[in-house]
Amino acid sequence: MFVEEIFGDYAAFAPIIIMLISALILPAVHFAGKRHTVTWAVALVFAVVSMAVNAYMLVDGFTGTTLGVYEYDAYTGVMLLLFQIVLFLAILVSNASTETTRLHVGAYYALLTGATTGMMFVAGSSDLLTIFVGVELTSISSYALVTMKRNDSRAAEAGVKYVIVGGLSTALTIYGISMIYGLTGTTDIAAIAASTAIDGMNWILAIGLVCMVAGYGFKIAAVPFHMWAPDVYEGASSPVSLFLATGSKKMGLSVFFQIFLVLFVAGSSLSAICGEEVQYLFAIIAAFTMTVGNVVAIAQNNIKRMLAYSSIAQAGYILIVMAVMTDYALASGMFHMFTHVFMKGGAFLIVGALICAGLGEKISDYKGLAKRSPFLAAAMLLFLFSLAGIPPLAGFTSKFFLFSSALGGVDGLTSQWVWLAFIAILNSAISLYYYARVVKAMYIEKGESTEKIKIPAVFTVAIVICVVFVIVLGVYPQLIFDYCETAAAALLL
Amino acid sequence: MIPLEYFLILGAILFAIGAYGVATKSNAIIVLMCIELMLNAANINFVAFGAYHPDIMGQVFVIMTITVAAAEVAVGIAILLNAYKMRKTTELDEDGLTSMRW
Repeated sequence: MFVEEIFGDYAAFAPIIIMLISALILPAVHFAGKRHTVTWAVALVFAVVSMAVNAYMLVDGFTGTTLGVYEYDAYTGVMLLLFQIVLFLAILVSNASTETTRLHVGAYYALLTGATTGMMFVAGSSDLLTIFVGVELTSISSYALVTMKRNDSRAAEAGVKYVIVGGLSTALTIYGISMIYGLTGTTDIAAIAASTAIDGMNWILAIGLVCMVAGYGFKIAAVPFHMWAPDVYEGASSPVSLFLATGSKKMGLSVFFQIFLVLFVAGSSLSAICGEEVQYLFAIIAAFTMTVGNVVAIAQNNIKRMLAYSSIAQAGYILIVMAVMTDYALASGMFHMFTHVFMKGGAFLIVGALICAGLGEKISDYKGLAKRSPFLAAAMLLFLFSLAGIPPLAGFTSKFFLFSSALGGVDGLTSQWVWLAFIAILNSAISLYYYARVVKAMYIEKGESTEKIKIPAVFTVAIVICVVFVIVLGVYPQLIFDYCETAAAALLL
Repeated sequence: MIPLEYFLILGAILFAIGAYGVATKSNAIIVLMCIELMLNAANINFVAFGAYHPDIMGQVFVIMTITVAAAEVAVGIAILLNAYKMRKTTELDEDGLTSMRW
């Protein structure tokens, strides 16, 4: 295989090495060339090459370990692909978006690529130390990315909130990890799961677990740790909001899968002690996250805030995986992450494109959009209906898999999580209300202006990519779901 | 040898002081300093556990944490400076950096 020939012992690291080179040379490229388009093209080429290498490794079924800490298997491959798609979409539109072209673009692309490197590092880690470092690499890059939109007081405020909440979550996480380390004497997750040092529930274990759930809960904006998310997504420029809502949040969920699913998988010594309690804890967090996200979204007038709350709700749906804890649930959760990238990413792309065209961020600014730009209105309709879960779009298929996993999976067994699926379905109905408000503004209400809207060509390309995947994954989910099933099996051996 | 509990209690007290500061102080710089206290509480735990297990991983983790904390403070202070230029305040209360709610 050519990856092994080029990278030798570091073959498992190949997609990350390419990303790292990109992150390191981008500021230099910008300094030497001073041309925005050149820097953009270099960043895009590196992202595509990394994605191609990873896709090749994933399809080829490559497995390998580098330095004893980084393991590339089917799970890593699928998560890497997800992060790379997000990076590709974010970089693709950055050169055309008026919100990002005035920044120091060398640093901007380097931070985007660096943040993705952190996510990719997390996805292959099996040690609390490497997961911690990867998460921090992403978080610290994201703080800077949010604040980079200079001379904007909302971005400045969002940055302050993000860095303080992020720092708090880091402190909680690290305190929790220290307790778990003290109890077991190791930071390797599989070793902790198999550890015989834990012989029952005690204070140290309880504090450790709660602090870690809370700390990483901040990263995925789970209720009650969600207050930063709407402010940050509203304050950041649209490509960065896209990146955070679809990429950064998926990294947090990936951390949950890699730590807690592995720690509490059936048969581990921890699951015997408090497996059921932890499952119920996650079920309650999931129920609150989706309900609060959806109910508060109803009251929003700013479309970015509305999408942020809808993101919180979607994270709540994916947290069902943490309650159910089966292979099938994990596979459907990962599939929902993929569809979420395309539908939420597409919605943020349209918001970004309309900001470039001079429209505001209020839902009332979208009045009469169907007359002014039929393509954008139709695409937005598609993404919002997909988020709400209307068949035959991708959001319906992935939610169907996810909720059916809570009902007991494909073989039709009933389970204790029926109530959770019921709450999730009720929430889908609530979400339709606020999505329909946007659709009503676009199609039924008359706007003040009937002038046609022109958006940059790359935005059209990116939106078309999202539309295609939202439809294709809806009618042909096996395209990605097969890989998700292999990945789930690889993580939960 | 000093019993392990003493270290854990010191760590817990530091952590509690930090958490109290984050919850009650309204100046963003003081809040950042309180977060540093919480991180150092975890560091004390790591060093103590590492010495008592005995295992080198605890100290490795502390070095990583210190590095991460330094990077975080560097970015954090830059962000606060940016916000101060924009708003002429670093207070997190009603008159300060809270224009966005709900």
